Amino acid sequence: MNGFRKVCRWLHRELGFFAVGLTLVYAVSGIAVNHVHHWDPSHAAYVQNSRIEPTGDGETEAVAPLVLERLALLEPVKETWRADRDLLQVFVQDGTIDVNLVTGEVVRRGNVKRPLLYDFNFMHLNKGKAPWTGIADAYAAVLIILAVTGIFLVKGRKGLVGRGGVLMLLGIVLPVVYAVLVRRG
Amino acid sequence: MRRFVTALLLLAIAAVPAVAKEKVYGKGVAEGDVTSISAVLANPDQFVGKTLNIEGTVVGVCAHRGCWLSLASDVEGETLRVAVEDGVIVFPKEIVGEKVRATGVFKANRVEDTSKKCDATRAGEPEVQCKTVYELAATGAVCNWK
Repeated sequence: MNGFRKVCRWLHRELGFFAVGLTLVYAVSGIAVNHVHHWDPSHAAYVQNSRIEPTGDGETEAVAPLVLERLALLEPVKETWRADRDLLQVFVQDGTIDVNLVTGEVVRRGNVKRPLLYDFNFMHLNKGKAPWTGIADAYAAVLIILAVTGIFLVKGRKGLVGRGGVLMLLGIVLPVVYAVLVRRG
Repeated sequence: MRRFVTALLLLAIAAVPAVAKEKVYGKGVAEGDVTSISAVLANPDQFVGKTLNIEGTVVGVCAHRGCWLSLASDVEGETLRVAVEDGVIVFPKEIVGEKVRATGVFKANRVEDTSKKCDATRAGEPEVQCKTVYELAATGAVCNWK
């Protein structure tokens, strides 16, 4: 048994250090995406107001180039669209610029990627697919090994036969009770 | 040698944005002709229940879950909503302004002004104002990213 415990301790220590980075990625992103109905965990929205000399609500072919000239954007324009008689929308990489052709009012709404969180969520939600699927599977296997080896690390009253066992049972009962209650609800 | 490698790297970097990246969402698009959005919206009831390929510039996207797109028609101011199964296909916010082709079944939904679905028993009641909202329930889409 001591030999087995030694192997468990070695595995738990080595894989535990290895798993720190990925655990933080998944845990931080987990909290962030759990509250997706409250906020956008990957992007921060911004609104900028400005004004240009009005072009008037003439034909789109005539006013769109004028609007672009007066906006003097430094970034590439993806597309323009006449959403309404007095509204021209200009689409750029990080958002949309609404130009009121009659008043010259310009409202730019955009989204910028949240530093770190965007990448954390990208990994957590596996948006990159192929290579990350393998990494995520391997990480899940590492977590299983960490969980199982963790059971046998400590012996005695604080171990499996004592407090450790009670805590482990609580941790198992919690999701089981939740699953049963939700399924009934 | 160093200059050659630097030149090669610069060339590679310069070449990257020029290549449009085709991204397939869900089951992609079916082969066949594209029906223009204006033609569909001119006589929407004729198309209800039919599988269509439509194409247009994305002028709106679901901000929270990327579960729908709004595609611009070739007629100014006209749009068609392309809805996808929540969580199965997720359109990114950056897709606004890109050209998208989508395949799906054209549907007519009866909704209240509050966007809630009108059920049959309430539809006849005078106090409930129902309207028909058309959408393409898409199974897939393709975007050629600029």
